[in-house]
Amino acid sequence: MMRTVSAAETAPTTHPWVVHTEGLRVRAGRHLAVDGLDLALGTGVHGLLGPNGAGKTTLMRALATVVKPAGGRLTLLGEPVDGRSDLRRVRRGLGYLPQQFGFYPRFTVREFIEYMAWLKEMPKTVVPGAVQRAIDRVGLTAKANARMKTLSGGMLRRAGIAQAIVNDPEVLLLDEPTVGLDPEQRLDFREMLRDLGVDSCVLVSTHLVEDVVAACTDVVMINEGRLVYQGTPDDLITQGGQGDAGDSPAERGYSALLRRHRAGTGR
Amino acid sequence: MSRILRIELRRSAALGAVLILLLAGAVLLYAAPQRWSSGWMSLAMIQREYLVLLWPLALAVGAWQARREHRSNVGELFASTARPRVQRMVPTLGAMGIAVVCAYLAVAAAAAPWIIDTAGYFPATVFVVAAVGALALVAAAWLGLAVGRLVPSLVTAPALAVAGIGLLMVIPVAVRRREWLALVFSPMYGMGQYTDYQTVYGRVSAAQAIWLAALAVAAAALLASGSWRTRLAALLPAILGAGLAIMIIPRNDEFLANPVDPVAQEQVCAEGSPRVCVSRVHSGLLPEAAPLARQALALLAKLPNPPTTVHEDTTTYYPDTSPPRQADVVLMPITVDKNGHLARKAEIVPTMLKAAGANTNGCGEIPSTSVSRAAEYWLIGREPVTEYAHEPAEDNAEAVKLWQGLQRLPEKEAAARVAAVRRAALACEDVDGLLTRSAR
Repeated sequence: MMRTVSAAETAPTTHPWVVHTEGLRVRAGRHLAVDGLDLALGTGVHGLLGPNGAGKTTLMRALATVVKPAGGRLTLLGEPVDGRSDLRRVRRGLGYLPQQFGFYPRFTVREFIEYMAWLKEMPKTVVPGAVQRAIDRVGLTAKANARMKTLSGGMLRRAGIAQAIVNDPEVLLLDEPTVGLDPEQRLDFREMLRDLGVDSCVLVSTHLVEDVVAACTDVVMINEGRLVYQGTPDDLITQGGQGDAGDSPAERGYSALLRRHRAGTGR
Repeated sequence: MSRILRIELRRSAALGAVLILLLAGAVLLYAAPQRWSSGWMSLAMIQREYLVLLWPLALAVGAWQARREHRSNVGELFASTARPRVQRMVPTLGAMGIAVVCAYLAVAAAAAPWIIDTAGYFPATVFVVAAVGALALVAAAWLGLAVGRLVPSLVTAPALAVAGIGLLMVIPVAVRRREWLALVFSPMYGMGQYTDYQTVYGRVSAAQAIWLAALAVAAAALLASGSWRTRLAALLPAILGAGLAIMIIPRNDEFLANPVDPVAQEQVCAEGSPRVCVSRVHSGLLPEAAPLARQALALLAKLPNPPTTVHEDTTTYYPDTSPPRQADVVLMPITVDKNGHLARKAEIVPTMLKAAGANTNGCGEIPSTSVSRAAEYWLIGREPVTEYAHEPAEDNAEAVKLWQGLQRLPEKEAAARVAAVRRAALACEDVDGLLTRSAR
């Protein structure tokens, strides 16, 4: 399929990292949910792991430019994200599936994704093709003309992924995308993630360590708003021993890292 | 953009708005068709008056639509997108605007077949009056959107509807004697028709259009604004518009009270003779009116120097105007029934023959009922009967006595006495005793 490519897309990359944070602090209400996070992410699929309340969703929201950082530095696609900068260009390169995916129930799948493509300021001429590609990619082709309100939980999640990827984002942020997917759909989803990670930076927040090992090139683990660990899935596995909690080597690695971090911070 | 507008038209509250407004408007119109059956201007004005319900409904529909983002919890997702919220609001504003305009026109279209055969006069002012009405609905829907976004509660829409009705009710009371203020700020004020010739002055419509357009712009700006500072700035167009409208609106009382369209009042005549004319606004009724008018002229032909022409009686009581008294002209009352046709046909000829067909408009004192009626029934050729529901029995008894006296006279003498009544009445002189005295 052919599409027009904008000058911005073919321009050489001048930033070392797609996502770069230094001492990033982000509030969730009054609570500092992300507190001094240093993170550098390039192209590839990054699995974001951490216990409940670790600050995963708050980090995702900051990266999605929904909440302003309270301190530190955040650079997306080489552009600083602070209160003063114009975020329009950065946002055009973003794809975001929030934990709570809101949608217009009366719209059809195609209409909603087309609407999102419009909000992402995609060039008019490429929209219909991009919408169809996104729908096909998440396996909703047969449901393209169904109203959003008629979709099951798993289908809604896939529609949410479709709207996130419709603009071929350079930064794709997926907050718990596999909730509601059946095992077969999860396998397809992992396949898609690997595919997307070839030329964009994908950050997937999840509780499912297995998904991370199977589909991610990189593991990012945070706890209490700070980076605990960043490495490859294979390395994660080597962190765990027989004594650690978990049903798989990766889960044992996760438990071991968390236990050590908690011991290190005195909790 | 156009694709997004199309999606919004299909999936927003736009379709529902069209249905609700169309239904409400059509039900109101057809509940009392006699209020607008007399012509296009009547329809346009009465439709404006029914904004008393449609305007608050448009407010409510707008407020309902504005809750969508809140209800669907899309704020998080949309906040991550590039398009500024001003632009995001444009298709919604467009869809709601198109919807309420279509609904307003559809209500008119639903009424049109009722009067299309009988309504002859279609002045351009009809379009102006309708356009201001449609603009009022756009302003209401947009204002509803803005308020609904500021207060995204379930009760906002019904509360706005009630407040809207209340506002329209209160405005005429609140302005007291400064009627012109009500004309600016209430899109329905002054739209009740006292006569079929009534119109709305261009300057009044211009002032209303300026205010409503300013209100619509302010509402759109309010909807698109994100901070309290820009929200305050959004009030600026409304203030400017109100000021400009107040400067333009005419304040002369005579100018405001039920103004008459002189072109609507002009006499247009049927083909053939004798000459029969009705006002332009009733020109569609000429085929029905002409035979009755000629019947009355034929009966009057018994008199020496009978009148030869029939004009419509274009008398209006508020403002008080009447056609000139002319010896050769008989006036014909024209009222329109709920179907747009000539009403009370059986009463028209007798009414025309009262006081032997003399126009006594502006005479002040009403000529003696019994003399007038005796002359009328002598021309018709039958015994006088009671005409009003509660008139004293002796009134008609007196008329019958006078009529019997005329019957006993030779035809020529009777005609001369009736003609004398006619002459005297035309001159606003006393007619008492003219039927019992020999005509000189």
